[in-house]
Amino acid sequence: MVDIRENESKTLIALRDAGGYSTIDQIVNVSGLVHSAVMRAALFLAPQNLLAVHERKSTKIVLNEEGKRYADEGLPERRIVKALQKTGGKADIEAVFKAASLSENIRVIALGWLSRKGWAVIEKGTKKLKLLKEPVEGSDEKLLALLKENGAAVVEDLSEELRDAVETLKGRKIIDVRVETERELELTATGWDLVKKGVEATAEISQLTPELLVTGKWKETRLRTYNIQAPVAHTWLGKKHPYLRFLDDLKMKLVALGFKEMTGPNVELSFFNCDGLFMPQDHPAREVHDMYFIKEPETGSLEQYQRFLEKVKKTHENGWKTGSKGWGYTFSTLEAARLMLRSQTTAASARTLISKDLEIPGKYFAIARCFRPDVIDKTHLTEFNQVEGIILGEDLTLVDLLGVLEKFAKDVAGADKVKYRPDYFPFTEPSVELVAYKKGCGWMEFGGSGIFRPELTLPLGIKVPVLAWGLGVDRLFMMKAGIDDIRFLFTQDLEWLRRMELI
Amino acid sequence: MPTVEVELEDLESLLGMELPRDEEKLNEILSYVKGEAKNLEAQEIRIELKDSNRADVWSVEGLARALRGYLGFEKGLKDYHIQGSSGVEVNVDLKLKNIRPYIACSVIKGAKLTEAAIRQIMHFQDKMDQTYGRNRRKTSIGLYDFDLINPPLRYEVAKPSEVSFVPLEFSEKLTLEEILEKHPKGIEYGRIVRKFPMWPVFIDSENKVLSFPPVINSNDLGRITPKTENVLVEVTGTAIDTVQNTLINVTLALADRGGRIYSAKIHYPYKGMADATTPNLKGETLKLDLNYVQKVIGMQFSPKEIRELLEKAHYGVVKATKSEVTVKVPCYRVDVLHPIDVVEDVAIAYNYNRIQPRWPQLLTIGGLSQEAEFRDLVRELMVGLGFQEILTYMMTAPEVLFTKMNVDAQRVVEIANPRLLSMTCLRNWLIPSLMEFLSRNTHVEYPQKVFEVGYCVVHDKEKENKTSDIETLACVTIHSDASFTEAKSALDALFTNLGVSYSLEESSHKSFIEGRMGRILVENTELGFIGEIHPQVLQNWGLENPAAAFEINLNRLRQCLQAKP
Repeated sequence: MVDIRENESKTLIALRDAGGYSTIDQIVNVSGLVHSAVMRAALFLAPQNLLAVHERKSTKIVLNEEGKRYADEGLPERRIVKALQKTGGKADIEAVFKAASLSENIRVIALGWLSRKGWAVIEKGTKKLKLLKEPVEGSDEKLLALLKENGAAVVEDLSEELRDAVETLKGRKIIDVRVETERELELTATGWDLVKKGVEATAEISQLTPELLVTGKWKETRLRTYNIQAPVAHTWLGKKHPYLRFLDDLKMKLVALGFKEMTGPNVELSFFNCDGLFMPQDHPAREVHDMYFIKEPETGSLEQYQRFLEKVKKTHENGWKTGSKGWGYTFSTLEAARLMLRSQTTAASARTLISKDLEIPGKYFAIARCFRPDVIDKTHLTEFNQVEGIILGEDLTLVDLLGVLEKFAKDVAGADKVKYRPDYFPFTEPSVELVAYKKGCGWMEFGGSGIFRPELTLPLGIKVPVLAWGLGVDRLFMMKAGIDDIRFLFTQDLEWLRRMELI
Repeated sequence: MPTVEVELEDLESLLGMELPRDEEKLNEILSYVKGEAKNLEAQEIRIELKDSNRADVWSVEGLARALRGYLGFEKGLKDYHIQGSSGVEVNVDLKLKNIRPYIACSVIKGAKLTEAAIRQIMHFQDKMDQTYGRNRRKTSIGLYDFDLINPPLRYEVAKPSEVSFVPLEFSEKLTLEEILEKHPKGIEYGRIVRKFPMWPVFIDSENKVLSFPPVINSNDLGRITPKTENVLVEVTGTAIDTVQNTLINVTLALADRGGRIYSAKIHYPYKGMADATTPNLKGETLKLDLNYVQKVIGMQFSPKEIRELLEKAHYGVVKATKSEVTVKVPCYRVDVLHPIDVVEDVAIAYNYNRIQPRWPQLLTIGGLSQEAEFRDLVRELMVGLGFQEILTYMMTAPEVLFTKMNVDAQRVVEIANPRLLSMTCLRNWLIPSLMEFLSRNTHVEYPQKVFEVGYCVVHDKEKENKTSDIETLACVTIHSDASFTEAKSALDALFTNLGVSYSLEESSHKSFIEGRMGRILVENTELGFIGEIHPQVLQNWGLENPAAAFEINLNRLRQCLQAKP
């Protein structure tokens, strides 16, 4: 005996009442069940050989916006014909267009159809449009009229003539075509036997309710079994941005290594971004194609940095007391006050060096948004984050700098091997590039570093060596996340963020 | 960083050895001069040279010169000397004083100038003009066929319409004025001279124009071909050291091609300025304290070791004692400003990879900034409320901030030199960034709930940098049932968890629906606003679902929390 539940019994009864053959929609109407419940019941009953499910594909057509306009105003070629008929079957083209009030964009179309249908031609000599014969209503126009009246039509139900017209209207892109599958149910002989005997269903529920629990009614009901393999809707949970999560993780590692976080403003004085870092004022990297400058006001105030400014100025000009020759040019304090968008996190390091809270020995780091007028592509962003830091201490040397880099490569990036290459920054000497090897990734450039030049530290009042480092974390993240396009860091793709696995 | 194009065979012949074709191995060698080769398959390989001050290695000749030392083919100071006077005298016009006052010349005889060599010299000239010469503003270089020129020469000024000559690559005579209009170099570099009433010209004793510095040479005299036997080099500019350093480097590159160097005499009319004989190949001498070397590198070297390392880097060692080495710096090493530059060369010659690294044992306590700690707390709560964190650019455009948000334009921090129309200013509020994000995701399943903690920047006269960074939280929920109530419920949860009691004050804002918008107050401080997005704004962004949002100034919220007992 088949175990029939409530929805299945309702479906069978509705089908019996409909004479054994019905569309699903009709059953939904009669039984009061929702569409998906009837479908589920049918799919349960069919394998029991109680009913059969027939699928009938129907092609539904409706007029689109342009189609509706054509239906109201007539096809453009018909409108021309009507206008021509009023002027005795021959007229100047422009005048006809005007009389038919055809807009520019459909004029060519109209002429094309006139000639294709053989309704009218342009006379060779006079260049006038001439009516050829009495145009009868075509099948396309009949279909248009039908659609206008009924709103829609099923292609399979149309006469052969109109079915051909469907292709024409489709070609003119004035109808939308949708293939719909309609399902119909039919009682089988076994099904008839069962419904004749009468079907009864155990009351069954899918959702346990507080009421059932409180009243104890749950004892008299049966909880429906579920198909636990059935797919469920996605849950999109709240998540941190994967790149920011990666930076959070990096921060915690740096904190664990004894680094304090330092900060600085996004709109920066050139003094901190450049001059204080011993970048000469005519350095190519200080031109408009390498830095963003603020339109108004152009300059900020250096008032509270006067005592540093004077020394920095002299150091640029002639080396001051640093033992350097300096750059040998006339330093402009106005240029040093120029406002710009921070182009390198080193600006934050310069601010830290003159801070009254500076600790020696000390370790500091910053993760800061930097801005450069690069063209945005697979490997460049115009806004990006830099991770940089400094270490100050009495006896720090190049040996220590290499030790710091090795620690970062192994502890932070999980590299297996490291190599050091001579590098160049205007503000460090010696300068070292860190190249790290990681299994599966090969060698990659991982960071730049160096010891701040005396021309930088002495004018800012720092008498101990300062090791400075920057890490190429973007590439590390991209490798971890399996992406090769840096633009993903600022992705506008919600789907990608939702699906991104936690790394 | 400068990039030079080099023909590998040419470099090899100057170097006297074959170079590895393997990128990794070649770069190992190039790393001595901070170079990295790219594009190895092409006839001309590209070498990026990171040091933007070491102009001597931007020529293939200088590159070979430096590498020969590191590779052990030669050591110590390389001996370049002047064979004698070329007989060239240059008289400088006093009127150039405020225009382009300095000039330096040399003559190189007998250099082997193959087509390839000429190409390389042109590359080098370009590189020097662009980088070291700051796009010819500071210095520019001219090369001439010395045998076509009749000294003495005059470096003087002329009225733009009065002097004419046939510029390089042209066949007809143009006046200086016409060159600025018609010649590609005139169009490119004209701005350097245009502001002056009189422009510089370089002329020989028969009144033939050699060039119009810094714009263009004469096609007749200023063209070097494989037939040219003797070359006159001229550098003009605004900084005398840079002018002389540039001349040295071009002269030596030609000398490395087998040329002999002859000097020229420059007569300056400026008060207090002596006549000069150029080029000056003497180079400077400095004293290197061995203690200092040890303090920087962290390793002890004997005077003998230091001498060997210095000589590998082509420095001359005049005298070495236990505590000090007297070092002769090659004249072409224009980048050496301070003994620290020499110390770095010692370390490079020793090879960084031979140094045993050490993690410095400094006792320091790490920590996040207060801002970061609070930011992380807020982010954690927003994630708990089911919002997806997003990251957007701070640079944007008024169209995004105001037009599409249905509000009047406000004064924002604008960029003087924007690159893109969509990035002309800094945002002064955050919700527009979120709306822009949502507008790009209309095909993605709803409901969508997103948030960002990011900086907004506003004008602030009181600050040294004339702006304030406002750390801001904003969130938007968008779906068919999104409403003010939903946003308020999230706001409520956030503030409850932060232990802050707040109130909402009815207000109006054209981005939000009238009567469904309010300002968020804590005591009497305004922290932000909340509301249901106006349908016009949704339509502007092409969004087809209702949305609600709030935005909070986290700087102020943090202050409120700190003020709590």
